[in-house]
Amino acid sequence: MADRALSGLVVVDLSLGIAGGYCTKLLADQGAEVIKVEPPEGDPTRHLGPFPDGTPDPERSALFLHLHTGKKSVTLDVTTPAGAATVRRLLARADVLVESFLPGTLARHGLAYDDLAEQYPDLVYCSITPYGQTGPWRDYRGNGFTAWATGGLAYVTGNPDREPLANGADPAEYFAGVNAALGILAALAYRDAHGGGQHVDVSLMEAVAANLEYTTALYSMQGAIRRRWYSRHVFRYPSDIFPCRDGYVAVIYGRTGLQQLAVLLDRPELLEDPLFLSYAERVKRWRELDAILEPYLRSHTAREIVEAAQDLHEPFALVLDVPGLLADPHLRERRYFQELTHPRAGKLRYPGPPYRMSETPWETGRAPLLGEHNDELPPTDQTAG
Amino acid sequence: MADALPLDGIRVFDATNTYAGPTCARVLADLGAEVIHVEGLRRMDLVRLLVVADNTVGEDYWNWGGYFMKRNLGKRDLAINLDRPEGREAALRVISTCDVFLESYAPRVMRGFGLDYQSVREVRPDIVYCSLSGYGQSGPYRDWVAYGMGLEPASGISSLTGYPGEGPLRSGISLTDPLSGLIAAYAVLAALHERRRTGRGQYIDLSEHEAAIPLVGRALLAYQLTGRVPERQGNRSPDAAPQGIYPCADEDGWVAVSVQDDAEWHALCDLLGRADWRADPGLATRDGRAARHDELDAGIAAWTRGRDKAEAMRALQAAGVTAGAVLHGKDLLWNEQLAARDFFDVVEDPRAGKRPFPRQLPVRFSRFQVKARGPAPLLGQHNREVLRDLGGLTDQEIDALEAAGVAGTAPEPALPAHLVRIGAAHPVQELIEAGAFLRVEPDYKEQLSARFGTEIGKRAGE
Repeated sequence: MADRALSGLVVVDLSLGIAGGYCTKLLADQGAEVIKVEPPEGDPTRHLGPFPDGTPDPERSALFLHLHTGKKSVTLDVTTPAGAATVRRLLARADVLVESFLPGTLARHGLAYDDLAEQYPDLVYCSITPYGQTGPWRDYRGNGFTAWATGGLAYVTGNPDREPLANGADPAEYFAGVNAALGILAALAYRDAHGGGQHVDVSLMEAVAANLEYTTALYSMQGAIRRRWYSRHVFRYPSDIFPCRDGYVAVIYGRTGLQQLAVLLDRPELLEDPLFLSYAERVKRWRELDAILEPYLRSHTAREIVEAAQDLHEPFALVLDVPGLLADPHLRERRYFQELTHPRAGKLRYPGPPYRMSETPWETGRAPLLGEHNDELPPTDQTAG
Repeated sequence: MADALPLDGIRVFDATNTYAGPTCARVLADLGAEVIHVEGLRRMDLVRLLVVADNTVGEDYWNWGGYFMKRNLGKRDLAINLDRPEGREAALRVISTCDVFLESYAPRVMRGFGLDYQSVREVRPDIVYCSLSGYGQSGPYRDWVAYGMGLEPASGISSLTGYPGEGPLRSGISLTDPLSGLIAAYAVLAALHERRRTGRGQYIDLSEHEAAIPLVGRALLAYQLTGRVPERQGNRSPDAAPQGIYPCADEDGWVAVSVQDDAEWHALCDLLGRADWRADPGLATRDGRAARHDELDAGIAAWTRGRDKAEAMRALQAAGVTAGAVLHGKDLLWNEQLAARDFFDVVEDPRAGKRPFPRQLPVRFSRFQVKARGPAPLLGQHNREVLRDLGGLTDQEIDALEAAGVAGTAPEPALPAHLVRIGAAHPVQELIEAGAFLRVEPDYKEQLSARFGTEIGKRAGE
């Protein structure tokens, strides 16, 4: 498989959890050889469900199966001298190491970046932690849920009269994973151009905070502190999720303002209405606008509404749930989902390529069984440790 | 001496606009690429009018958007009409010197311009050409107009987000835009990695819809394994209990608490002085705690209500419980952790003056710094140097393009600035009354100046 973009790259993955898992999934699906080093009991995601029939099974965890496609699994206790020595031997043929322990943890086992840089000067060593390797919060505990809060997105998500809200897909973890994968490829580009490996430091909190669409900009440009406001865009209404005949639909007006909305509702007189002409009016009187939209939305299906709006070049969207995604005709025509057969979990449809490359296609394989590749571990050196 | 950077010598033709595409190109710029942001005079980047500095604009109203600035720091700007044959011809001469071509128009647009992958490859055979679009270059939705606000619902993410028993919710930002921008940058770096080894370029079709679906991968597989459609759980999670966002003493202050294991549970009980909880065998396991979540929420909130969010976070962390204050925009600008890591770059903009901008790729590298390389460009600011130095056009040829309205430094048509000023200003009072803004602080520039140790908002010559 020499024709894949990252063919030949070897990644030793000591990370546990979602962010590191998604990072090395991106690398593996693009052709890197990822050796996932799991503790003897397995990665924590093997123990998080849901599981078929609610019965915990480290080989049938939805989260593990998703995150670890196309990787190899070896079991090692890196906190023992023998385990740490084996990791060092694995690194002899590695380009990249990924880890997600709290700062200082691996140093206790001789596996910190500074412990390895002399022996492996070309190694790209990526650390993913809640707050980064430096700063007063470096030792604090964190996960995707708290990163969403400290990174500023919880405050702006939810209803104004209610508590701030998490995002159920845990995007903080995925943003950190993408940052890490990007950082690794940037460090490899640096190594090709100028020589030398380096330490790449990724923080979950910062991975969230880098994406604040308006939150810090509104203060630094205008002194405003923005809050949460339903599913709306802070400077556009309507842009919201509404109930419709068969579920929900995202109503979003486009470049021409609310003109096409009046056409869609077949109510041209609305074009003269201050509610349609002035954003400030809509901020004050949005319930009246909702009342205008409601009869139309309630009497049509989401697909009817989106198709009619798209015919008018309005960026309405479907609100798909999981069965809706799996049945979606567009994704089917693009052959998005990838069917993989796993010896314990069976045949399942997995998320497909996040982008399509013409010459070096994305390609994925099933997740490994726990310790499935232990026989590929370098032989134990009896003189070490 | 400037750092050596990973993308030294890489040149990017950035014909994207709005959010996702410019985010991708800004990441490449921060990593050392030379990025030329390309706009049409009749297709100016729309976000040039968003979050304008000090809620007003000058006569050149198109150069005041704070939103545009953040995504385009350190780029150059070429404003040229690609739908005119002379414009396309000049652009192709620039493109022939570029390594990466980015575009984010509807699939038909670049073909219409004669700047699709096949055409560009004729002048630059090893180009890495990446198209970002809402739904991809093929399939029944390919021509659908897509804004980021619609793609989070369309990707399934919103179906997992919301208060329990209520409807789906979208995040407070257009989440899929920065996500696809970062994924696109990853794809471009992968293609450049391969090009360094084989010498060949390639085409990348990035559907922002598809790039977001992996975030619901767990739910997709869970549904197939269990037959149950995952429900919205508000702030709760099957992985940690109790978990929630609890009210604090400060105005609209909240703290997020996530008890990840039994040791954290014991630490929480000790901190709250709840020996009864600690001794209760029914609460000894995560499942047991999840079953009595409402009761635990009430007890935790009784404790958090007496403290402000920063104090609650510190006490919980000191006790060994995973917790984080719910920070708003101003909190972030003053946050001690972000300050210690230089998360904000203070950049001097010719119109807005010095302002703090958050990092776009907040990764720290031991051999170089990834940060904003300079201010965002004015519309068409670099027309002459790009067309002359890269395109090889003579000054007379450039003059002719400008005279013909093919290149320029003002949008077509330019509107009266006083009208734009009304349209671009936010209805601040209405937004506060609606609950969308907490407040507006009139002395924000003084406060920011004290925080950043330099005069924020001051323009050169003031």
